[in-house]
Amino acid sequence: MDFSYPPEVEQVRKELRAWLAANLTDDVVAAGRQRGKGDATFEKLRTWNATMADAGWAAVSWPQEYGGRGATVLEQLVYAEETTRARVPMPLNVIGMNNIAPAIMQYGTEAQKRTLLPRMMRADDIWCQGMSEPEAGSDLASLRTRAVRDGDDFMVNGQKIWTSLGYRANWCQLYVRTDPDAPKHKGISCFIVDMSLPGIEVRPLVTLSGEADFAEVFFNDVRVPADALLGPENGGWRIATTTLSHERAGAARLYTEMQMRLTELVADLADVQVDGHPVLEDATTLRRLGEIALRIKYLEVLCQRSISAVLHGGDAFGSASLAKTIWGEVGQEIAALAFDLIGSQAGARRWADYRLTSRSLTIAGGTTQINKNITAQRVLGLPRS
Amino acid sequence: MNLELSDEQTALRDTVRSFLAEKASIAGHVRPMLDDPTGTTEAVWRGLADLGTTGLLVPTEYDGAGMTMVEAGIVLEELGAALHPGPWISTAVGATRALTRFGVNNAAAAPLFTGIADGSITATVGPLDGARPVAVEQGDGIVLRGTIDNVWDVAAADILLVLADEPDGTGLFAIQTSTAGIDITLQPGIDQTRKHFRGTLDDAPAQHLGTASAEVVEALVDDLVIAWAADALGAARAVMHLAIEYAKVRQQFGQPIGAFQAVQHLCVDMYETVELARSGVIHALWAADAADRDERHLAAMRAKAFAGRLANVADNAIQVFGGIGYTWEHDAHLYFKRLLSWNAFRGGPDHYLVDVGKQFVESVLH
Repeated sequence: MDFSYPPEVEQVRKELRAWLAANLTDDVVAAGRQRGKGDATFEKLRTWNATMADAGWAAVSWPQEYGGRGATVLEQLVYAEETTRARVPMPLNVIGMNNIAPAIMQYGTEAQKRTLLPRMMRADDIWCQGMSEPEAGSDLASLRTRAVRDGDDFMVNGQKIWTSLGYRANWCQLYVRTDPDAPKHKGISCFIVDMSLPGIEVRPLVTLSGEADFAEVFFNDVRVPADALLGPENGGWRIATTTLSHERAGAARLYTEMQMRLTELVADLADVQVDGHPVLEDATTLRRLGEIALRIKYLEVLCQRSISAVLHGGDAFGSASLAKTIWGEVGQEIAALAFDLIGSQAGARRWADYRLTSRSLTIAGGTTQINKNITAQRVLGLPRS
Repeated sequence: MNLELSDEQTALRDTVRSFLAEKASIAGHVRPMLDDPTGTTEAVWRGLADLGTTGLLVPTEYDGAGMTMVEAGIVLEELGAALHPGPWISTAVGATRALTRFGVNNAAAAPLFTGIADGSITATVGPLDGARPVAVEQGDGIVLRGTIDNVWDVAAADILLVLADEPDGTGLFAIQTSTAGIDITLQPGIDQTRKHFRGTLDDAPAQHLGTASAEVVEALVDDLVIAWAADALGAARAVMHLAIEYAKVRQQFGQPIGAFQAVQHLCVDMYETVELARSGVIHALWAADAADRDERHLAAMRAKAFAGRLANVADNAIQVFGGIGYTWEHDAHLYFKRLLSWNAFRGGPDHYLVDVGKQFVESVLH
């Protein structure tokens, strides 16, 4: 039982810390917080992504042949800790780099790998993922967007929703139904689609916070060349569910993100008074803070345990699903506490926004309720409902 | 970083688990011991000692295993899962850590350490909170005078280690429990698998073992809090498993109740809590020997702060069992009470949650 990191990993931490101290500027950090709002911030983040990529810090988990560092799991863990603590903005192509790139590396042609991956890493291209549909949310495998073979092309018709970066993306990893007669998991294919093709229409999807964080993407007789197929025809579900991200310490982001949020909240509360009393001297507030800080610490160790299991071949005990549930709940508790104390004060717009947007933490990427069903059945061995 | 159990640690866990299942089961041992103030039999204690568990924390120069709280925690989790009623935590952790934390290595220490390691001595330590007795010189020796409260396992113990106030710190004294001058009363609590005592020391002859600062006493209390947390983790794990297995076989409305999502979610909530608790416990067990004072103490405070949530595992388990879980005959209530007594130990969670909150604020603002 050892919680310490080996010296060679601490060395990577030191190098990264030094590089960030020299290169990460406040305006980049600010742009990261304003993520998705306005073209200027977007372009600033794009430039920052390229800076990181050119210095070799953009995709440390990728194999070296694709521009990564082939970082070990513990190096990835330290990378996640340090970039979160320094408030490095998440890469614009975070979904692309974690979820799409590994599929391209595994199933793509040499040409696709050579051209697409470096441009993704630098954010020269922006990638979106066409998965969810109006009738296929948590139940992704029931997606209906159709692709029908027509000569050398596929004709695509349908609609995607909740597409992050949909209105910025020039590439899309698209999941469609190519065999409507097969069982639902066996009739799905994956394509790499150029978003400038005729017949693709993107509409911003305005969320409850008033921001256009997502898009709806409509495919109307879109002619996609057959060589845009990624992996085997009708083999898309396998790509969606079994492509292994190189990011094997991603769990670390869950706790580091919440550590930072709680740290920032406490800093913002330092001068806040309610009814003439400093809130940070109020036992009820301290109790709520303690409850959250405690769960974040335990989430940290839970994530470290899952990473340790990866490293040493231990039992992963369904930790990914547990960690995601806890992360979402903790985020919502932070948001509620922040809003209860300062949400209505001038200048606290950020926490008011978080009170609204944190609702998505237990929805996006599979709802907490579906997660619990899956854990009940797959981890605890309870019968299917 | 490696948070997996080693092969030796896994073997220790499995050995203790199968010993308890065979020789100290709930029906065969725990229930018969509910009204016994010692909570143990000679045979069961001998068995635990022969497995080498009582000497896990005893330094190797005294024929112990010289191991850390991590190994003790592995045993404690199994003891908690088996609702073990004996004085293991008091002897193998409480008394042993009192001796090592106080740095006792004089002639008096050797027979205590070796006796604990070979199973010939059972011991306990206290009081951990509240008023302490005073040491008075009398003739050639020292006697202790005063009351002690909330001390565990005194009826089972051969040796009572007493924390008493001294001018330059806290003294650690040993008293033979067979001696005149000790009067103890079992304090019936909610949890009959734990034996708590109140006692009066009326010029009880005592041997001075050592003197230490308040920080050393704090470290000893942290050790016991962390040990308790490991025990409670075992109890929570066990009652959760019982409930989940029950949900797989109990049929209502023509299907196992575990097929109902509402029941599934109760089970997953229990699992989430148990795995969070496990995370806290392994960190605290590691911190007890490997971390600095602040990290160790905070880890112990967190464990106490989480006790309320952990006790809810037993609430949820009984909810899954339904009516059968509400009976005396069923074992669920024994787990429920073990977890409730951990929850109540040294005060409920609120105070500790506030403390953890304060610590976090301090860490940000200073």
